Amino acid sequence: MTITTLKLNLGPQHPSTHGVLRLILELDGEKILSCEPDIGYLHRGMEKMAEQMSYIQYLPTVDRVDYLAGFFYSELLCRIVEQAQCVELPDKVRVIRVMLLELNRMASHILWIGMFLMDLGATSPFFYTFREREMILRYFEKISGQRMMYNYFVFGGVRRDIDYLEDVEEILSILPSKLDDYEKLIEENPIFRRRVVNKGILEKETALNYAITGVNLRASGVDFDYREQDYLYKGFDIGKVILKEKDSMARYRARVLEIKESMKIVRQALDYLKKSSPLEQKLINPINLKLPEGDYYADIEAPRGIASCFVRSTGEKEPYRLKWRTGSYYSVNLLRKLLVGEYLNDAIAIAGSLDIILPEVDK
Amino acid sequence: MDWNKFCEVFADCELLGNKILIKSRLHDVIEFVTDNYPYDMLKEIIAIHNQDGLVELVYHLYSTIDEENLLISILVKDRAESIVDIFESAQADENEIYDLFGIKFIGNDKLKRLYMPENWEGHPLRKDYVQDDTRLCWNDDNDS
Repeated sequence: MTITTLKLNLGPQHPSTHGVLRLILELDGEKILSCEPDIGYLHRGMEKMAEQMSYIQYLPTVDRVDYLAGFFYSELLCRIVEQAQCVELPDKVRVIRVMLLELNRMASHILWIGMFLMDLGATSPFFYTFREREMILRYFEKISGQRMMYNYFVFGGVRRDIDYLEDVEEILSILPSKLDDYEKLIEENPIFRRRVVNKGILEKETALNYAITGVNLRASGVDFDYREQDYLYKGFDIGKVILKEKDSMARYRARVLEIKESMKIVRQALDYLKKSSPLEQKLINPINLKLPEGDYYADIEAPRGIASCFVRSTGEKEPYRLKWRTGSYYSVNLLRKLLVGEYLNDAIAIAGSLDIILPEVDK
Repeated sequence: MDWNKFCEVFADCELLGNKILIKSRLHDVIEFVTDNYPYDMLKEIIAIHNQDGLVELVYHLYSTIDEENLLISILVKDRAESIVDIFESAQADENEIYDLFGIKFIGNDKLKRLYMPENWEGHPLRKDYVQDDTRLCWNDDNDS
């Protein structure tokens, strides 16, 4: 008897591929024998573009590396320039940035909850999560003028002083009850549990070998959060979420818990900002800005794992080489391993649980 | 970290801060480092096309245990040793470098064009790449 296998293209237009990811699956019945991710459908040449732009020209484009967590990438580029110019940020700028980063992380995780549930076939949570995310986006719009591509961080500080703090207060007061609602709606649901509990087990060693970072790594029991060593978060009390279960459910739980931890960080920042004096900052003049010759490197704990930026400068106005490291890029590579031996219908749940976002993968 | 052992085995290396410049035996170096020191993650591989025509590959190793970085740097012309058998994440990086810099990784048989179309000529992040390619306008009838 010969075994015939079926080659199946999952994507690039499949709704649960979160954009344009194509997975070439080899199936035996419904069992996956191999998985080959094919990316590049959203490639915009972010790295090539950087080599032809001055730093200030490039700054508004970096929000688009990951459009759900734009602040993180602006922060990275600002950090590179500040590092090169040896600028130390005033405390208030640091706190403003931390607050916005954490709000952005919350918005990103909240959206993911809705997307993940939609992958599993539940459409209504998507609308609830969008409602909550909207509160945060409205706040971002008020302070920066944009809902998604903020361009609010500038070299040496922020665009303008923070305002509308009562909106943040409102977000912090409303969100906990909404998160409880999600928990009641989702976590005890037997259909949901059957599709995520003990599915997509990611062992600690595999995760490290595939360079998985962020929530996915912490849900596999590795105690590693880059925020701990980040100078930006100095003085903040950061609660780490480390779970031992390693399955899709753990990754879901870790994100929900991380939203709660982020809320605590935002609360600390908010308390500081309410009492603080008006913003005083010394911005770096971006006109004819040239970084001294050398290599610069910056990391940050983004919602989808460690993001980092490498810049080599030859003393010109444009970077000689700029490279982004993004968390999702490595999560896509992990699918080669994680999906093998699983059933096709679980494949979508497992891929969804890793929080892959395609603009970040294709850059 | 004690580097005496490392310098005994690989004599022709240069140590600059937390960056090691090596000239050859890339696979052996990475294997030795991961076996003897607590580096458990290959964070990324950075490729830079230098002005002298050589491509610099910087292997960024990271230890989640003591939170230390280690950079291993090598200059290559158009081929390098693959380290997919040590770190699976290298598959992603090597494929990207193959696509954008045209470096062939010996021992990695899954290399393919990633961002660029399969029949694309040239590797865009190389400094000798010709940019005003007529194919950029995606006109199939364009014979010129």
